[in-house]
Amino acid sequence: MNQGYRITIHQEPDLHQSSLVLGWGEDVGHLGRRVTAYLNLKLKGQEFAEIEPEDFFPMGGVAIEGNVARFPESKFYACPEHELVIFQTDSPLAEWYKFLNSVLDVAERHCRVREVYVLGAMISFSAHTTPRQLLAVVNSAEMKEILSQYDLNRDMDYQTQPGERPTLNSFLLWLARERHIPGLSVWVPIPFYLAAMEDAQAQRKVLSFLNEKLGLKIDFSDLDQEIRKQNEQLARARSRFPQIDDYINRLESNLMLSEEENGDLIKKIEDFLREGD
Amino acid sequence: MGIRLYQEPQLETPILVASWPGIGNIGIMAVDTLRGILGAEEFGQIEPWEFFYPKRVFIRKGILEYLEFPGSKFYFKKRGRKDIIFFIGEEQPTEGGRMYAEGRKAYHMANLVLDVAEKFKCRRVYTSGAAVALTHHTAKPRVWVVPNSESLVPEIEGYGNTVLMSDIEGRGGHGNITGLNGLLLGVAKKRGFEAICLMGEIPVYLQGLPFSYPKASKSVLEVLSHSLKVEINLDTLDELDQKVQQRIEEFYQQIPLEIREQLDRLKHVAYAQPAEPGPITEEEEKKVVQDVEKFFKKRGEGG
Repeated sequence: MNQGYRITIHQEPDLHQSSLVLGWGEDVGHLGRRVTAYLNLKLKGQEFAEIEPEDFFPMGGVAIEGNVARFPESKFYACPEHELVIFQTDSPLAEWYKFLNSVLDVAERHCRVREVYVLGAMISFSAHTTPRQLLAVVNSAEMKEILSQYDLNRDMDYQTQPGERPTLNSFLLWLARERHIPGLSVWVPIPFYLAAMEDAQAQRKVLSFLNEKLGLKIDFSDLDQEIRKQNEQLARARSRFPQIDDYINRLESNLMLSEEENGDLIKKIEDFLREGD
Repeated sequence: MGIRLYQEPQLETPILVASWPGIGNIGIMAVDTLRGILGAEEFGQIEPWEFFYPKRVFIRKGILEYLEFPGSKFYFKKRGRKDIIFFIGEEQPTEGGRMYAEGRKAYHMANLVLDVAEKFKCRRVYTSGAAVALTHHTAKPRVWVVPNSESLVPEIEGYGNTVLMSDIEGRGGHGNITGLNGLLLGVAKKRGFEAICLMGEIPVYLQGLPFSYPKASKSVLEVLSHSLKVEINLDTLDELDQKVQQRIEEFYQQIPLEIREQLDRLKHVAYAQPAEPGPITEEEEKKVVQDVEKFFKKRGEGG
């Protein structure tokens, strides 16, 4: 039952005991979109279903991104060889309960999903040279136990602060638990000055975990090459601009920058990476 | 999406008193204060999931323990006769980024509230909210009263410190009540309930401030308790009002003198009809509102 919301199934996927990986389009560092796109590319994901947008997004025109008109998309891809479902979506702006239930309806009824992985990124005030760590939030003690053999911080305490709201990741985990589907929301911190760009290291960290947990056997040499390139670019930015180097040195020494300095570092790094070196 | 009742109390011709948050939280503070003073007992709720986005998550040792949604709860108080059902909505179910509820969800919620009222054979409903008025914060707020039937007007005319829309100069008995505090009145009419909305006055220059206006809640509560024939002690609201008035006065002193002088004239605004040449003309009224808006816009831009 999809409660009247339109789900289009293009083709029934051949999945029997699958895992769902979900990435949001508007993540910090575009993490969700990048990781799900990478998985689709490497595992040859085939689109098989989508959630129609009209009830979840304002249909008041289109957004333009990188000179191109964008339209909200919520698409499912199947990788039958790996018993994997990838769901790549823009974040809904209305009817969240129904949207997330639609995701789980497809997962349960068409893919026989047995566990859910939701990707998330958050802004960190550490330097890019600090190793990325994964934080895990799960929806059951059993899932926490299952994850004990992986390199994850599994002991986070958190409560929504006044003026804030929970994330869609939490909402989905909660709904998955209502359906007795074990779920994990995996969070990776991204240095604030890379938040509007991309952070290949953060992507690699999340992908390595999924690769190990789901037995995907992905060759990451291309992504490692990208990480090397990004690190070299950032090193060049530091050597060319003493001010950038000073800021990052202080972050590496666990010192906080002022708000103004944060803004300055973001601008300098973004300008440098966009213009090329 | 529905109603969940934890118990089904035996109630004697109950009256429903409902409120949601709005400007200055005037209505909800009045209703919730009365609920607290009478010690009403929670007996049900409207399931929140399809109406609201969650408001809080609790994660402990990496495990999502609990997701909390805005509450929409029912309470009852037995009094021997004319028992009271309270409904208190912590948020209005808004759609598309609007401030107040409207549309399908709002209509559905109003109907669910009345479903419970009907189940317990309630035929009278009170809602409560704010009336943005050309008045001054040092004046005692009046209560604008809107019934959903002509037959209720004589009763309302017997309430103290109240005005009907026809008493408000220049309105010709017309107006709007936005959000669920108003919508419930209309849905009640459609379903054959008597309903009355009590709106406490808030000065036009305070409507956008991020704090409550207990002085108006007290005025609403005085009318409501008179109508429900309950005697209550309003000391707690007085204490709160004193604190808020202090903050308002601090804010008021920051307003440029030329605007403040105009606002001071609102101390003398009255709504009595027939309309006499009042202490403030229509043109001046417009100017006051424009100047105040300009002042707030500037403040906002300045951070």
